[in-house]
Amino acid sequence: MARPLPSFEPVGELKFGQVGIANLRLKSLDEAALAQELRNKLETAPQLFRRAPVVLDLSHLPQLPDEATVRSVLAVIRSSGMLPVGLAYGTSENEALAVALDLPLFAKFRAAYESAAGAIEAAPPAAAAPEPPARATPPPPSAQRGPASLLQTLPVRSGQQVYARGTDLVITAMVGNGAEVIADGSVHVYAALRGKAIAGAQGDASARIYCQDFQAELVSIAGHYRVFEDIPADLRGKPVQVWLEGEKLLLARLGPQQ
Amino acid sequence: MTEFIVVTSGKGGVGKTTSSASIAVGLARHGKKVAVIDFDVGLRNLDLIMGCERRVVYDFVNVIHQECTLKQALIKDKRYENLHVLAASQTRDKDALTKEGVERVLNELRDEGFDYVVCDSPAGIEKGAFLAMYFADRAIVVVNPEVSSVRDSDRILGLLSSKTRRAETGAAPVVQHLLLTRYNPTRVAAGDMMSIDDVKEILGIEVLGVVPESEGVLAASNAGIPVILDENSNAGHAYDDAVARLLGQDRPMRFLEAPKKGILSRLFGS
Repeated sequence: MARPLPSFEPVGELKFGQVGIANLRLKSLDEAALAQELRNKLETAPQLFRRAPVVLDLSHLPQLPDEATVRSVLAVIRSSGMLPVGLAYGTSENEALAVALDLPLFAKFRAAYESAAGAIEAAPPAAAAPEPPARATPPPPSAQRGPASLLQTLPVRSGQQVYARGTDLVITAMVGNGAEVIADGSVHVYAALRGKAIAGAQGDASARIYCQDFQAELVSIAGHYRVFEDIPADLRGKPVQVWLEGEKLLLARLGPQQ
Repeated sequence: MTEFIVVTSGKGGVGKTTSSASIAVGLARHGKKVAVIDFDVGLRNLDLIMGCERRVVYDFVNVIHQECTLKQALIKDKRYENLHVLAASQTRDKDALTKEGVERVLNELRDEGFDYVVCDSPAGIEKGAFLAMYFADRAIVVVNPEVSSVRDSDRILGLLSSKTRRAETGAAPVVQHLLLTRYNPTRVAAGDMMSIDDVKEILGIEVLGVVPESEGVLAASNAGIPVILDENSNAGHAYDDAVARLLGQDRPMRFLEAPKKGILSRLFGS
């Protein structure tokens, strides 16, 4: 009787890759409120959140809850329509909890999450323009917004990054390929924009990008971005504005069409 | 008043050392007292281009580490006695350079009454390139008419306006010039190569000179004679123009058009 030849093909193939995954950072153990919040999230963006994998981060609770409490929190998440898949990395007790619940720990995940957030926080105004000229009577400082805008008069060159925290960014010189101009408000470039422009960096969907000579590599508003491998012929070199309508990032020429 | 000029580019192989040598010789030919320093520690080349490689006893790193005096390390050019070369060390690496050491050497050159100190930067944006540009009053950014060189130059221009002593102390900014090298008007006309206007538009600064691609450059390098001294080379004439412009003279740009072929060369090929 012929024996089947042994197969050298593995039955399963293990691969590592990066996946987008939601992180639920719990700040209190109010399960009713959590259920309500998650339901609201699901209603606003069902495609995004229904059956979305979620990593539960317990590190921001005043103290680590016991196993039974966590089980009940996980049940709340599941009943909301999302799928809890693990715990975020934390203390050794947190690790023991993950073992008890038979859930994986996402170690790298939290570290990456935090360093990315930190990078945005720390984005240095590398080539920050000299302070805008002082006004005779400075307006009273508002708690929410800083100065009306950050003015950059020197070219922003490849590798440089200018960030207008909490305000608009106004640039009167060109932005080179490989440069990044970022604002929590809108970005205005009164010259050629060849690099990346990011408006609404903290999520302000009403922020816009305006430029006089459009040759951008990437534009982004409130996290919605578009890269330009080829710049549309009707926009290249033209004054252009970029804005967000719902989930759609729109671009159009500014001023007279001829 | 001594002026420190850095010749830099970001990208390698664009002609920094060739340009440093020719600019230094050009300035000396105008009667200026000039020193040219090779900052490319570990990969020294300037001495070869200047034709003094067999006379290097002490080098820049020796001076920085106070193993010899500046006078001992300065090599006097055979053609111009007001021109001096400070060679890089071939046996060390960039870590042998220190900011304090470089500053001390440059101050000493200033005290010696040099008119110009030309700093030949290594490629890249690491320590050697950083120290070559840090103390500069003026920068000559050497760029080839191709996209990667232009982008690297843009990066260097950004560093010049943020990572130099002038930028850090809030003094007047470093004066920036572009020097286009390896320019081939025939290929520009055919659309294969970026034109001077393309480069100017992207980098947004003024062009000090355009050096045409020329066989004379390689021959001059191999002979240890800076190409500016070659009377039969267009590249040499272009460097001469650039140096004159550096000294404030007005010279029209040359070598921007492809040479017209005469009837004979048209018949017999060039």
